Amino acid sequence: MIEALGFEFMQHALIAGFLVSFAAGIIGSLIVVNRMVFLAGGIAHTSYGGIGLAVYFSLPIFLGASLFAVGAALLIAALTLKKRHRMDTFIGLIWAVGMAIGVIFVDLTPGYNVDLMSYLFGSILAVSTQDLYFMAALLTLIVVVVTLRYRDILAVSYDSEYAGLRGVNVQFFYTLILVLSALTVVIAIKVVGLILVIAMLTIPVYIAEKLSNSLFSMMFLSGAIATLFTLVGLWLSYTYDLTSGASIIMVSAVSLGLFLLFTHKKL
Amino acid sequence: MNVIEINNLSFAYEKQTVLQNIQLNVEEKDFLAIIGPNGGGKSTLLKLILGIYAYKKGTIKVLGNTPKKSLRKIGYVPQNTNINTDFPIKVIEVVMMGHVDGRRPLFGYGKDEILCAMGALTQVGMVDFAQTKIGSLSGGQRQRVMIARALCAHPQILILDEPTSSIDITGQREIYELLKELNTHITIIVVSHDISVILEYANKAAHINKTLSFHDISDKHSTFHTHGNDGHFCEIELLQMLGAENCNTCEEENPKWRVKP
Repeated sequence: MIEALGFEFMQHALIAGFLVSFAAGIIGSLIVVNRMVFLAGGIAHTSYGGIGLAVYFSLPIFLGASLFAVGAALLIAALTLKKRHRMDTFIGLIWAVGMAIGVIFVDLTPGYNVDLMSYLFGSILAVSTQDLYFMAALLTLIVVVVTLRYRDILAVSYDSEYAGLRGVNVQFFYTLILVLSALTVVIAIKVVGLILVIAMLTIPVYIAEKLSNSLFSMMFLSGAIATLFTLVGLWLSYTYDLTSGASIIMVSAVSLGLFLLFTHKKL
Repeated sequence: MNVIEINNLSFAYEKQTVLQNIQLNVEEKDFLAIIGPNGGGKSTLLKLILGIYAYKKGTIKVLGNTPKKSLRKIGYVPQNTNINTDFPIKVIEVVMMGHVDGRRPLFGYGKDEILCAMGALTQVGMVDFAQTKIGSLSGGQRQRVMIARALCAHPQILILDEPTSSIDITGQREIYELLKELNTHITIIVVSHDISVILEYANKAAHINKTLSFHDISDKHSTFHTHGNDGHFCEIELLQMLGAENCNTCEEENPKWRVKP
């Protein structure tokens, strides 16, 4: 493993693992406490539509996926405002349509130039310098927003009706959480792939929730736990020549099992 | 002085009328109990007073202003505090959500805000739990925290929606004793299925089932009929009586609803 650190792709993988894990820990906490896990899964799969479009129009993949995911997040936020009780139906619909758009545009693109598997299961060993800048910028944005507007985000997440009565713009912060989730999902796709992204957003958060007594400590503890899982997963993946995304998720899942076994915490 | 004045208020969800021609005046330092069947419009009326719903017919004046403008002077304790008990949040943080937005520090909470929240927790007897995770409290304790959150804004009116619905009997009594104490300087409005609030604590009662009938019950003895000498009366009778448009039946010698001894 040590000699591998000499390779640039490995250095990039480690930095990306750290940046994405921290973003996933913070945003994953918000997703879990707001009960938006299904919603985040929907956005993750929808963003494949953006990948397909980016491939077809030869745009940067990150850009296409981000725009598409943010669009989906805004659409979901607008629909939630009107018909909250039909949420699950809308999410399922957007989930499938997004994927379908992606598949069709990849079909339409002449020549075989996209490795579909790398988006479904991640390709952390192929992170470019540009990708790293994007990830670092997003993590910075998330930390700044969450730190400066912690009170509002906490109030909206804990009791949105009451927050509204106390003058907090609930719809704005709800939409903000969704948009940040969409962007986090996009960078996490690079590390674990869009199918596995949900596990990365929830497993570390689930462990951190049991160990924290405030949202703030939960967010940063989740980030630290996610980083640990990513690094261990990456090491296993390198040593035994396994798919990195799947290794990271399996490390997380086994750790969760051990955590529950040894702490006797209730599910 | 009337802190709430409602005149000719009607409200409908799409086509279904929920409230019709509501008249209600609440005086300063009243302890008003709102009772009535499920779906009778109790919570709807609260949400109209809080300005959550907009009304088209009639008028509501809260502290001489529209509900939206007076919102900051109302403390509200919502129904069902058992939601989100897994949420990692400390008692003090929940209470500080009650602050109305004034000047805020860039990061975290101001010293005055923390002091004020601790004061509110002292008032409800929960100050020792300030750093405890909310999920580890009992239903009664959690309800006290919600009352402290409402007190944080120094309200002139405190509105509670079924505050004792998920609390054991001892806890219920403690909550009502607390409300009685607060009632010495705050107007209190309670929506409740719990008859004991009407019998012992409230001085006014409003029964809502689409229409509203209002009763001054400050003199308990002359208001309620009793069986025998032990001062006991039947819950169903009481509800029927409060639900009646007026108290004429009380004057009847042998009204239908009264159980024969």
